[in-house]
Amino acid sequence: MGNFGNFIFEQIVNGVITGSTYALIAAGMTMIFGVLRAINFAHGEYYMLGTFAAWYAISKLEVNYVVAIVLGVAAAALIAATIGRFVMQRLVGAPFQAGVLATIGISLILQNAVILAFGGGYKVFEGGWIEPVEFFGFGMAQQRIVLVVSAVAIFAGLEWMVRKTRMGKAIRAVSQNIECCQVNGIDVESVVRRTFLLGTALAALSGVLTAPVNVSVYGGMGESITLKTFAVIVMGGMGNVRGTLLAGILLGVVEALVSGLIGLQYRDSVGFIALLLMLMLRPHGLFSQKARF
Amino acid sequence: MKQQSIRRIASLTLWGAATLAATAAQAQDAFKIGLVSPLSGANARYGAFANKGANLAAKEINAAGGVMGKKLEFVSGDSQCVPAEGVSATKRMITFDKLPIIIGDICSSVTLAMQPLAEEASVLLVNAASSNPAITYKAGVGGFKWTFRNYPTDEGRAAIVLEHAVKNRGLKNFAVLSVDSDYGRGAINFTKKYLPRYPDAKILSEDYYKESETDFRPVLSKIKNSGAQAIVMYGQADTTPIVARQMLEMGLAGKIVLVGNAEFNTAKTIAAAPSVLNGSIEAAAWLPEWTSARSQKFVADYKAAYSGEMPNNHAYTHWETTHLVAAAIKAANSLKAEDVRNALAKIKYDSAMGPVTFDDHNQAVLPMVLLEVADGHPVIKSAIAVKIDYPK
Amino acid sequence: MALTPITTITTLDTPHAPSARLPAVRWGTAGTALLALALAPLVLDGYYLHALIIAMIFLPPAHGLNLILGYTGMLSLAQGVFFGIGAYASALLSTHFGTPFVLNLVAASLIAALIALPLGIPALRLRTTSFVMCTLGFVVIAQMVAKNWVDLTRGDMGLSGVARPKIGFGDTTLAITQIPQYFYLILVVAVLATLAFIALIRSPAGRCMVAIRDNETLAESLGIPTWTYKLIVFMLSAAFAGLGGSLYAHYETVVSPLVFQMYYSNTILIIVLGGGVGRVPGAIIGSFLFVAVTEALRVTPELRMILYGFVLLLLVFVFPQGVAPLIERATEKLSRLGVKQEKSL
Repeated sequence: MGNFGNFIFEQIVNGVITGSTYALIAAGMTMIFGVLRAINFAHGEYYMLGTFAAWYAISKLEVNYVVAIVLGVAAAALIAATIGRFVMQRLVGAPFQAGVLATIGISLILQNAVILAFGGGYKVFEGGWIEPVEFFGFGMAQQRIVLVVSAVAIFAGLEWMVRKTRMGKAIRAVSQNIECCQVNGIDVESVVRRTFLLGTALAALSGVLTAPVNVSVYGGMGESITLKTFAVIVMGGMGNVRGTLLAGILLGVVEALVSGLIGLQYRDSVGFIALLLMLMLRPHGLFSQKARF
Repeated sequence: MKQQSIRRIASLTLWGAATLAATAAQAQDAFKIGLVSPLSGANARYGAFANKGANLAAKEINAAGGVMGKKLEFVSGDSQCVPAEGVSATKRMITFDKLPIIIGDICSSVTLAMQPLAEEASVLLVNAASSNPAITYKAGVGGFKWTFRNYPTDEGRAAIVLEHAVKNRGLKNFAVLSVDSDYGRGAINFTKKYLPRYPDAKILSEDYYKESETDFRPVLSKIKNSGAQAIVMYGQADTTPIVARQMLEMGLAGKIVLVGNAEFNTAKTIAAAPSVLNGSIEAAAWLPEWTSARSQKFVADYKAAYSGEMPNNHAYTHWETTHLVAAAIKAANSLKAEDVRNALAKIKYDSAMGPVTFDDHNQAVLPMVLLEVADGHPVIKSAIAVKIDYPK
Repeated sequence: MALTPITTITTLDTPHAPSARLPAVRWGTAGTALLALALAPLVLDGYYLHALIIAMIFLPPAHGLNLILGYTGMLSLAQGVFFGIGAYASALLSTHFGTPFVLNLVAASLIAALIALPLGIPALRLRTTSFVMCTLGFVVIAQMVAKNWVDLTRGDMGLSGVARPKIGFGDTTLAITQIPQYFYLILVVAVLATLAFIALIRSPAGRCMVAIRDNETLAESLGIPTWTYKLIVFMLSAAFAGLGGSLYAHYETVVSPLVFQMYYSNTILIIVLGGGVGRVPGAIIGSFLFVAVTEALRVTPELRMILYGFVLLLLVFVFPQGVAPLIERATEKLSRLGVKQEKSL
């Protein structure tokens, strides 16, 4: 491969790595949207909570990384369960802007509560598999491979859950027609709570898995995550879980190419220009059949 | 029953009166000045350090008798690094708390917005951490007579770094990777301004990262392929460990060196990837390794006061500036803003970085410390004060 | 029907017929509030006046959002974009050409409206959720443009030194530099904007907007060109937002890409939802309430944003219609003081 070809290939690999994280976080948000028709403006905060809890576990409780993953996700899930019970499930049937306002409020509370509890200073995440390995001649931390493999595995798991399990079918039902479900005796609130829990747990897991290579842990780290995830779920088709996997990876790759060929400062605009183009030309997303929203 | 309630009311009143008297007495004994910094939002980390530094100084000043016999106290305001919020917090301090002196902000754009307010209200604004040169281009004889800055500007910083990198280390091919803010872009502008002095040196690529960026692989791939020997980085303290780690995983340790300013010298950053940070060049306003006795005492006192935490740049500058203000009050022998301002303009203050005076633009003449990182430690090479070329 | 339509009460939920005195009471209340505002600088000091000024700067953009959300039923997060465009337009005109305040104000609104046109045409074809995401996209792109088009906007360095307003009548010019002067200037602009808003929604066009909001298909079948209306409303709300941006630029005298942060769009949304969507006084009540709450919370800087978050949750679950209905009910009760209660039929 020529030098330039090699360079492009390297960027594609970079893109797949970053994109799998995007996809994982977006899967959660799109599922929540599917059942609740609400955009979770606080989604990035669950990513942050998982990371913070894992950081705390490693630096203060001195457990190893694997245990920290479990603790991180568990802590975030606990908080999400409370929020799901007291806030999110009450948004069933509420107008769209209620969800926007409520999740903005939650985002402010979570971010600033963490800053209050742990201070505004940034923490360095110790732990994780950061030893580099060679892959096609490029150096990357082992953690990167863990990330991509985990993402694929989780998506496979989600696919199985949605097709084969009762919960999955309930989620699909509620996503399609919420009134019918209420008539059919499906406990919509319970589905909403559990989907919310699953979605936020995915975000928290992404946080813990990327923390070793992203290094910085601080209260405001979730904000930019939320915004970018919006772009991914729109491109993938809102409510479409498979679509977000492809959209996330595609976004990662295009961002890497733009950063590499044009400039890092244009990276974020890729997602949103793609989002706008998408909405103009193909509002139902790259991978959905028709526009429902 | 009635007697009981009368007794209750009487004791409550007494208690209330006592509390009121105590508060009044305390208030009489306190001299309050303002401290505006980002306490929430994405930049909360900087405000936290600044407040700790300032409060440590206040404690020290009060232990030594306070200012003009009164206790020095801070009224803290949150700017969130948003100019409108900084303005609101400042206005509150000026009109509600009636503070004659305000220290703030860290973010240059907030400071710029605060300047006209301080000017109109005749409130002394002492800046301890903003690096945008425009702040003092427009101060002193440049316009805002009530703004002072006790922090070196990026103009000198960029010149010093470039000189050392090219002349003493023989680096020629640079890739720019700085933070996408007025700080990062401004410092690179100055770098480009001085680049023609070194005909062999050139900039191969120019990238800016957003403040919350965590993925540097694409840009590092580009830099790796461009043949750059050094990365010019004017950036944030907390992003540097991320870049360093990712440089390590991509095999760039020892091959590409970091030059500029982004807290390369702190132990925490170096620990993230020592093999990457070794060899880096930095020009900093201050670092904990600075050998002056005063500086070392500050580091020790700060660690003792805050459970072993190491102070950063912002902690130091706010600590020093608080002492500076107290010294100006002493020199003026007055708590009135105008007197303190006049004293500040003429002051010769012994800071941990050397003697401080203010030029006609109310800019402190301060040296920058040039350092290199070697064997996992910062090694101070020199301290250089650069003369600023003010625009006519 | 995928979404619950925004419910607004255009009739009073009372078992009695509305009292004939109600309009008088309502206008009386509004008039008293206005009088109180006009007298404020004589009583309140600079800090409180500053807070009120901020409320009035957010008021026109809030009216704009109320127009597009409350009266046409589309949730737009792009008010922040047009607010920022108005701010930049005014700042650029002022720093490059030294143009007078009134010209900057008008130009800011016009420019914002003009930019809204090519943005609105594709965006308005989308359904609600997609439309919201689209407007979010506009905000991010706007911030990127402001940061990177350095030749125009000076990027992150921002535009500082926006001239203080100077109002001239013939030979005399009044320079606005002190807070009380700013207060009256911005009060006048805010009142004019409010009157324009009221005129708009009371007009036949306004009724068409409500029709579109309540049932777009039906409105279409009645011959209302819904598409054109939505576009015009989008442009008008942008103009309102641009007006607010211009006031902001002249008051803060510094404009930077930070003006495109989500913070401003969120604030305007909170104002409208907190005040009361689809109601005339909604934006007014909302802006003053919002500023009162955020400034009052400064007493606890550490807890401020946490409490603010809880206030938002309170708004959603306790006051889903906003605070305006409470005021409406209060004025309604006031109007029947002393009137004999008729039995409902």
